[in-house]
Amino acid sequence: MNKLASSCQVNGALIRVTDLCKTYDNGIDLIHVLHDVNLKVYPGEIVAIMGPSGSGKSTLLFILGIFLHPTSGSYFLGGQDVLGLDRNAQAEFRRRRVGFVFQSCDLLENSTVYENLEFPLIYAGVDRQDRPERIAAALERVNLGHRIHHSSNRLSGGERQRVAVARALVNQPQVILADEPTGQLDRTHGHSILDHFAEIVSDGKTAIIVVTHDPEIAAECTRVSLIRDGVLYEQ
Amino acid sequence: MRLNDLMRVSLRQVMRHRRRYTGVVLAIALGVAGFLNIVTMSREVKKNFNENLDLIGGVTILRIYFDNQRSYRPQWFREQTLAALKRLDGVKELSLTAVKYSQTNFQGRHFAFTTMAVDEGFWQVRNFWPLTGKLFGLDAVTGHKREVVLGAELAKKIFGDTHVRGKDLEINQEIYLVSGVLGGVTDSGLANSVFLPLTTAEDRFPGRLLADRLYLRCATWDDVTAVAAAIPGIVKSCQSPEELHVEGSWEALKRVQLLAWWIEFLIYLATSATFLLGGVGIWNVMMAAVTSRTREIGLKKAMGAEDRDILAQFLSEALCLSVGAALLGAGLGRIMMEFLSYIIESRPPENLFFFGVTLAFLFAVVIGVGAGLYPSIRASRMEVVTAIRYE
Repeated sequence: MNKLASSCQVNGALIRVTDLCKTYDNGIDLIHVLHDVNLKVYPGEIVAIMGPSGSGKSTLLFILGIFLHPTSGSYFLGGQDVLGLDRNAQAEFRRRRVGFVFQSCDLLENSTVYENLEFPLIYAGVDRQDRPERIAAALERVNLGHRIHHSSNRLSGGERQRVAVARALVNQPQVILADEPTGQLDRTHGHSILDHFAEIVSDGKTAIIVVTHDPEIAAECTRVSLIRDGVLYEQ
Repeated sequence: MRLNDLMRVSLRQVMRHRRRYTGVVLAIALGVAGFLNIVTMSREVKKNFNENLDLIGGVTILRIYFDNQRSYRPQWFREQTLAALKRLDGVKELSLTAVKYSQTNFQGRHFAFTTMAVDEGFWQVRNFWPLTGKLFGLDAVTGHKREVVLGAELAKKIFGDTHVRGKDLEINQEIYLVSGVLGGVTDSGLANSVFLPLTTAEDRFPGRLLADRLYLRCATWDDVTAVAAAIPGIVKSCQSPEELHVEGSWEALKRVQLLAWWIEFLIYLATSATFLLGGVGIWNVMMAAVTSRTREIGLKKAMGAEDRDILAQFLSEALCLSVGAALLGAGLGRIMMEFLSYIIESRPPENLFFFGVTLAFLFAVVIGVGAGLYPSIRASRMEVVTAIRYE
């Protein structure tokens, strides 16, 4: 555990997940995807969640982004009971407090980089005149300021992933959830994304949870948790 | 999501996928253009048909007369009656006439015929034209000139020819100049008549000349019944209506109205079908868009879009399509209207066009909302995870 992380823990957990379970009923059996998951994430941390395919990593991340609801358990973010939110409050939660980076570096097709970053600001009700500055700042953080008006279809894989990171950052969320953010990148670009993450959490207010298969990427994170058969183990 | 952002994003989406929407937009645009031309031009086209009375058998002409043979107190049309009738809605023009029986001797032969004393508007009201020579006009009427127009049959009987312009004809022992021969007549009575200015007849014919016949032409065949019904009341308000008769070609009018109703009905049906097809088209393309943009919907929800943001976006895209198509249709309709106006040499009132455009835009909004609502609701209700994982 590095110095940054240990200093953050003093201030209390940003995310607190307790006894979280997720079970699917396929009509024949009950499939237990997550068993009594307990997780605390502190501001300034980058937490890696590793595990084999089908172990429940993405399900946990989707629950943290409240794209999915758990079968039981509790989930607090910044002291707020997230699971008690209604549908509109969940959308509010996603646009104000969470940024998501998807595995397949999903950008809006046939749109420019600017337009991709503008949508979270539109949904957050940010004034139109304030958007260019915030978009430029987010892109600068991932060294893509010069690509602001390029079409997303013409970007390389690494650039697309960095745009996705910038998009997750643009509303200055408390938590960034990244599902295999380096999965489609080469080693250099993968490490570059992690460098960006490190810079983001250096403000001591933001936390990042990264789902990854790559031990090298995990090694660069503050903390690593292993998930196997739906059970989360702290390493 | 703010309204200006919504409009900007929706317009951008529609423009970027314009190829997908071309067919639908064209269908609605054609429907709107057709609709606008029905609204604006139908009355003008009807009026134009009325110009050519041969086509519809003179069904818009009413013959109004006093039957003085059955009355002890002879009646004729007074100035105030004529003025009141001219002001009546649906009346295009009218012509006052009087009839006398006359005779002539030409090269030792004796001819008896009907003389119709008419005003300058008679030719226009009855849609007559000169077969040869010319039909006398306002100058002959106001100048009390001794000019006559002959029916073609009578001209042949007297002169053996219809090219008789400039010849003299003696009527009741006075000499009249023949200015032309009447064409466009199918009634044998008129073909055997002589026509002279009403003022001249009043001056020169023996006895009192009663202008007791009126030909009234309505603007369209739809006006005929209402005008005919209103005439007795108007005459009564100005003078005695004793032995007043109003005659029209009622059977022919019914046939023309029935034919016109079917034509109009079929045009409306075709226009409605085009609108309906446009609506189905919008529904189809929006459903396809929702399916093909499932991941986009998931992404936007992951970015914090609420259900209503997604619903508003897809609905406004459908509205952009239908209203954009209506705009195109309005332009197309205007061009068609200008062209038709040029062809029939008659322009509809400008406010009728704007009324049609307003109505077309209302239709477009109804189609856009109606056809776009279900796909938009479907899009808005998608679950984030399902949408993001959609392949």
